Amino acid sequence: MCVAMPGKVLAVNENIAAVDFSGNIVEAQADLVSVEPGDYVLVHAGFILQKLSQEEGDTLAELFREIESYE
Amino acid sequence: MNELKKYLKDYDGPPLNIMEVCGTHTAEISHCGIPGLLSENIHLISGPGCPVCVTVTDYIDKLTELSLAPGITVVTFGDMLRVMGKNQSLNDVKALGGQVRMVYSPMDTLKFAAADKTKTFVFAAVGFETTTPVYVMLLNEAIKHGITNIKILTSLKTMPAVIDWVCENQGNIDGFLAPGHVSTITGSDIFIPLAEKYQLPFAVAGFGGEQILEALYALVKCRGKAKVMNLYPSVVTAKGNEAAQEMVKKYFVPCDAAWRGIGVIAGSGMILRDEYAAFDAGSAELTADHIHNPKCRCAQVLTGAIKPTQCPLFGTECTPQAQQGACMVSTEGSCYNYFVNKRKA
Amino acid sequence: MKITMTHGSGGKATSDLIANIFAKHFQNPVLAKMEDSAVVPGAATLAITTDSFVVTPLFFNGGDIGKLAVCGTVNDLAVSGAVPKYLTCGFILEEGAETEDLEKIAVSMAETAEEAGVVIVAGDTKVVEGSGGIYINTSGVGFLADSCCVSAANCAEGDAVLLSGNLGDHHAAILSARMNIANTIQSDCAPLNDMTAALMKSGVRVKAMRDVTRGGLATVLNEFAAASQCCILLNEERIPVSEQVRGFCGILGLDPLYMGNEGKMVAVVAGEDAQKALNCMKNCKYGENAAVIGEVASGEAETVLLNTLIGGIRILTELYGEGLPRIC
Repeated sequence: MCVAMPGKVLAVNENIAAVDFSGNIVEAQADLVSVEPGDYVLVHAGFILQKLSQEEGDTLAELFREIESYE
Repeated sequence: MNELKKYLKDYDGPPLNIMEVCGTHTAEISHCGIPGLLSENIHLISGPGCPVCVTVTDYIDKLTELSLAPGITVVTFGDMLRVMGKNQSLNDVKALGGQVRMVYSPMDTLKFAAADKTKTFVFAAVGFETTTPVYVMLLNEAIKHGITNIKILTSLKTMPAVIDWVCENQGNIDGFLAPGHVSTITGSDIFIPLAEKYQLPFAVAGFGGEQILEALYALVKCRGKAKVMNLYPSVVTAKGNEAAQEMVKKYFVPCDAAWRGIGVIAGSGMILRDEYAAFDAGSAELTADHIHNPKCRCAQVLTGAIKPTQCPLFGTECTPQAQQGACMVSTEGSCYNYFVNKRKA
Repeated sequence: MKITMTHGSGGKATSDLIANIFAKHFQNPVLAKMEDSAVVPGAATLAITTDSFVVTPLFFNGGDIGKLAVCGTVNDLAVSGAVPKYLTCGFILEEGAETEDLEKIAVSMAETAEEAGVVIVAGDTKVVEGSGGIYINTSGVGFLADSCCVSAANCAEGDAVLLSGNLGDHHAAILSARMNIANTIQSDCAPLNDMTAALMKSGVRVKAMRDVTRGGLATVLNEFAAASQCCILLNEERIPVSEQVRGFCGILGLDPLYMGNEGKMVAVVAGEDAQKALNCMKNCKYGENAAVIGEVASGEAETVLLNTLIGGIRILTELYGEGLPRIC
């Protein structure tokens, strides 16, 4: 049900974005998030739910450093 | 990653029960073979995170009734087709002439409605917080284009209330693998009140094998602590998608909702606001749930009280080909998942 | 009990239907073996098979129903160790079908038959009421060397499991057409008899072969594991899937291990011959992505296991349920 996958925005035409998933181009609606070509986005049931940020690396490292100290 | 795996395999602290709430997580855990990588003291329990599985028979009966009514076509995702109402499923009524169409995207309903103005198209709007915004957009577009022959029958549910119910009524959970895509919309902060109330860790996880292992590691390490950790920061933020949340608030209000196996949980669902009642196909008061087989233990499986393998019907009378309960019908259901992966743990 | 779409999926429901209705009434020792072709004595040893094709759309990226109809039957003969020789084809046409389409299909069948070195020697046509559908049945006959012994029941511990190329292309191509997902995925529809002949001639001890159609790799290997009463262990990282098909599967929540192919085969060979068999496959026209994907291991009989990318073990059962819309 929550199947959603990150893809890359190729083009945006009003509220419809062309999103590329490893060579599969799907139309997704961009009404909930404003996007530009080059953005990486999460698509679910034909809608863009969120833009991917570069956050991953540092935030997780910090979290793991913190919990390292627990048993 | 290797140290993390070693930690999880070698863990010999007190036994821990970790609940994965989301059906997609359950599927991924099986696909990666995660249970075999964990210590015997870490138990994974599937929770009520499958929207199809927790839908009550009243809802299906309403759909089948609508599909047989003249001038109405029911539009739905595939999984709903096989779920039994009191006596029949949508697939059954289709064979009797019921008007039912399967789609992969709810927005296709707009195309059908525009193409045939003599019919009313009712979408079976089932889902959690991830999918509710999609239904909002369906209505938004319908209104924008003046399409009036669309309605939705809602069985929309929200996570925090059911997690609260499980902790309150079941207990014995030591941590939650929190749903990754629900959190994209709601933000990870919604779990903070629950973490504090029950002094439990919550880890929002992505859907790759390594991401799930990282989340399990964090939960085991943080046992006994009230902590919400976002291990999917590329997609999930503390506050979530606020634009989507506003849109949902515009069209829907919280309501009491009936969950298969649990009954009615106050404030655990969403229903259309009065001003949009014209788009509702009769969603209120669909609360009764008919149990087909008295030996069916879907109720206990959904809340994590027992594993699918502990249901007396599992694998014998109840299989994907002869489903006795909703947990075996949906491809996100715990029983279906355990069966097709021959999962024991 | 009404027939539902699940009965056509190639998984458990299909095998149960065959067992409970057809096998029950058509009982004979040849049919009981449930191989891909029936191997029967005669002046020569024959392999005989039949298959029907009901795919929509009729024309898709990489092929059409005609090409499928020839390849499907040729491949069933080929993986039984036979040299395919003769095909029949019966057409059931619904009113409203276009003769231009029929001609394109016939041309495609002729071209594919020529590539495969088979001739279409008999046929039939019927027309029924309907809305333009076209359905084809092909039956095929091939010849076997007396010494040939390829069977799903032959697998033994130590044998290697080889796959001739990427999984999922055909299924993805069909679904992409239906769902308007733009990509360059082509059906892998192809005749495999050159590959099987090369393997049989190469000196490799071939134990079992099967083409990987409806139900996917997982279902076929479960058939081997059951017939041979063995345990098969696969390595997920060795199983070839193209990046585009992976992306496609990711969008729809599909699993390449359960998707249908129309130009891929799996071969179980003696362990020591694995490299030789691999080289042989890679030298064939449709084998460039061939790989050794696993082995017959010691373990619980009738079980197929997968070593996952993160080092876990997953049990692979045969396909339960519908899988996906008609793809062949």
